[in-house]
Amino acid sequence: MCRIVFQNFTFRYRNLKEPTLCDINLEIESGEKVLIAGQSGSGKSTLMHCINGLIPFAYDGEVSGRLFLGEMEPGKENLFRVSKVTGTILQDQDSQFIGLTVGEDVAFLLENEMTPLPEMKKKVLTCLKTVKMQDYINHSPYELSGGQRQRVSLAGVLSSQSEILLFDEPLANLDPASGKNIISLIDELHKDTGKTIIIVEHRIEDVLEKSIDRVVVLDQGRIVFNGKPCELLRSDTLKKAGLREPLYVEAIKYSNFELDEGHQLDNIRNCGDYDLKESVMNWFEEAEKPRENIRKDKILSLKNVSFAYPSGRQAIKDVSFDLHKGEIVSVLGNNGAGKSTLSNLITGILKPDSGTIILDGELINDWSVKAVGDKIGYVMQNPNNMTVKHMLKDEVTLGLRAGMSKPSKFKLFSWRKKADKKLETALEARFIETIKKCRLYGYRNWPLNSLSYGQKRRASIASVLAREPGVLILDEPTAGQDYSNYTEFMNFMRELSGLGIAIMLITHDMHLALEYTTRSIVISDGTIIADDTPANVFSQSDIVQKANLKETSLGKLADVIGIENKHGFIQHFIDFDRGKKH
Amino acid sequence: MSSFGTLYVDSDSFFHRMEPSLKVLIFALWSIVVFMFLDLRINLILLGMGALFLFFSKIPARIIRNLFIVVILFNLTNAVFIYLITPDYGTTLTGKSTVLLYNLTLETVFYIVTLSLKYLSLLPMVIILIFTTHPSRFASSLSKLGVPYKWAYTFNIIFRYIPDIQHEFKTIANAQAARGLSIKKDERSLLKRIRNLFNITIPLINSALARIDKVTNAMDLRGFGKHQKRTWYSLTPMRKVDYAVAVLALTVFALFLYFRITTTEKFWYPF
Repeated sequence: MCRIVFQNFTFRYRNLKEPTLCDINLEIESGEKVLIAGQSGSGKSTLMHCINGLIPFAYDGEVSGRLFLGEMEPGKENLFRVSKVTGTILQDQDSQFIGLTVGEDVAFLLENEMTPLPEMKKKVLTCLKTVKMQDYINHSPYELSGGQRQRVSLAGVLSSQSEILLFDEPLANLDPASGKNIISLIDELHKDTGKTIIIVEHRIEDVLEKSIDRVVVLDQGRIVFNGKPCELLRSDTLKKAGLREPLYVEAIKYSNFELDEGHQLDNIRNCGDYDLKESVMNWFEEAEKPRENIRKDKILSLKNVSFAYPSGRQAIKDVSFDLHKGEIVSVLGNNGAGKSTLSNLITGILKPDSGTIILDGELINDWSVKAVGDKIGYVMQNPNNMTVKHMLKDEVTLGLRAGMSKPSKFKLFSWRKKADKKLETALEARFIETIKKCRLYGYRNWPLNSLSYGQKRRASIASVLAREPGVLILDEPTAGQDYSNYTEFMNFMRELSGLGIAIMLITHDMHLALEYTTRSIVISDGTIIADDTPANVFSQSDIVQKANLKETSLGKLADVIGIENKHGFIQHFIDFDRGKKH
Repeated sequence: MSSFGTLYVDSDSFFHRMEPSLKVLIFALWSIVVFMFLDLRINLILLGMGALFLFFSKIPARIIRNLFIVVILFNLTNAVFIYLITPDYGTTLTGKSTVLLYNLTLETVFYIVTLSLKYLSLLPMVIILIFTTHPSRFASSLSKLGVPYKWAYTFNIIFRYIPDIQHEFKTIANAQAARGLSIKKDERSLLKRIRNLFNITIPLINSALARIDKVTNAMDLRGFGKHQKRTWYSLTPMRKVDYAVAVLALTVFALFLYFRITTTEKFWYPF
């Protein structure tokens, strides 16, 4: 039996001024299944690191108050004693996968415990069976999907027999279908083994798909809610803490329905009582008639594009679509469907085997990457992978300078000097214009390292925008970001699209596609299987299944209430939501 | 590259099945023999044995050929430099001087040939060791040979994350190329390409450092370093064949050693 007890617990990282956790009082009973939610910087990961012993073992800081794991006080033990009772499944499955094969990775903990080989082999197999991965025992991590790697990580922790399992943002890098699977697996594990389960996550809707005993919401280092999920969903705590409410709950709240204690919103099937139905139905009837889509000018158009890798794998088959000025489009699809190949073809990194890519009326099939880069900007997920310079200004103008001749060193030639000066003035003007667009003007003389993560992301976009591309391609723009960062970033994207830039988002994130894009292109097995409004795409179950997506809770709510026009309902929600937030 | 991203070539041969620590032992003995002699006959024997081993190892001929070409090119440059810097070294060794051309003596030519073959005869065992040993078995056998397990495990980690870093390099390079900072042919100026390559290393190092941090945490949390020793999942026990091979290898080594002790001349020169 291993209760977790925090008593007036406060923690401050050595390099920070303010404490990250403030006066935490929390008890988690043995065998409970608890969700710890909060936005980035709320202290939820810190709380987890206190339980698994990484604080104070790996992260130094100042502790006051007390923490107990059963009889033990983690701060006074060594990490190994703590990790005996807690098993942690880290967010980044890639870094957690240490072994060269599945079997070896699961065995890692047992090896360190000096388990004799025959016993170890037996245990590894048992653990892999628990997560249904026994057929992959000799596979390398590169042959597995993100969801499969996560299962292996889980098996690797199960071998320890520890009583507490900690999941650090288990959904962060998974597509919707794999995320759903891992949540079910955790639930089964909880039922079968009775272990204490702690899930740290900000995607509340997805975690609540299976029952949770208790939710703890953190905001700015303090517990702002600690109770049953149904209570939480009735209240407005999530919104206040900068977290996203489940879509169906939001829809019910939009209908101005009076929620009382009788309403158990944590299970969507309970949302079918007469009054609630009536209320949501009435709200849906207000829906406006679908507006005519005003098509703007085409900027990029792909016709019958196909591409095969030298290995012979046909990655893209006969793909055609148009992109219009000022449009935000999401490209969805499971891992390996061909999303990144497609973006590499558009940016010129790969050349199509057949078909045409036309940008602004010009055939760009054979253009160099650099030439395409003047017109189509590509932005990576992590700004740290993009930025190379120390100062914001150098970073933003770096790509511009690349296209120009170097300022002359021979200052004797006065006409060159003049040209250089002209060039510098032009650069300066473009720099100022770009950072104004990206709302970084106040930071124009700052070094990049002093910018916040969100500002850095805008800086990495500024460095691409400086070349005035007509199209922006963003790879997983919202991965690992909580609701408020995400909203801020996407509103910025909307501003850019308002300037006429076409934006293509490559993503797994269904919320993102629903809320911010007007069109979703779904790729499966190298071909486009749908090109339609997100509402229409997400209400077609065959497409949802093929692309490893999942049904939205709005669709489920429509089912429970008995609304047949599912996509109409989803569309109404999106329109209403947009109207509300702007 | 295999799916492990390492040089290991997955196949089934005598050498693939051989216990890795035994391979390390044979490699060590082989290297000692190579460095003990400056004798063309010994080098030819070793090369012959090496060729036979390579034949049995089922390593693709393409890989072997490419490596041999690299080493031979290295040897040729080396030979030229030896001749330019010490053209009469053969005479110093043998005390004879048979001039072939200008200051080039037969003795020096013979010395250079012997030395080149000496380097070349190391290659077969290096190839076998690298290409037929699965990295995790390699790490476990290193630990068996007495290398502290924290060091031995470094091999595993390196092999595990090389492909990740390669992948990251590619994506960063692509993103930079799209910004006009290409390292490929579409940037014509070589100087700019080198500068752009330098620009990629900064984010690459950043992400590698962040990864080291995460991996260290992941390893700590699963008890790495808890005990003085650890067991190895991928360790295979020595089989009878392995013992037999070990005895054979030691016997052959003893023969070479005997020959070395009984011959007095340092450099074998027949003329």
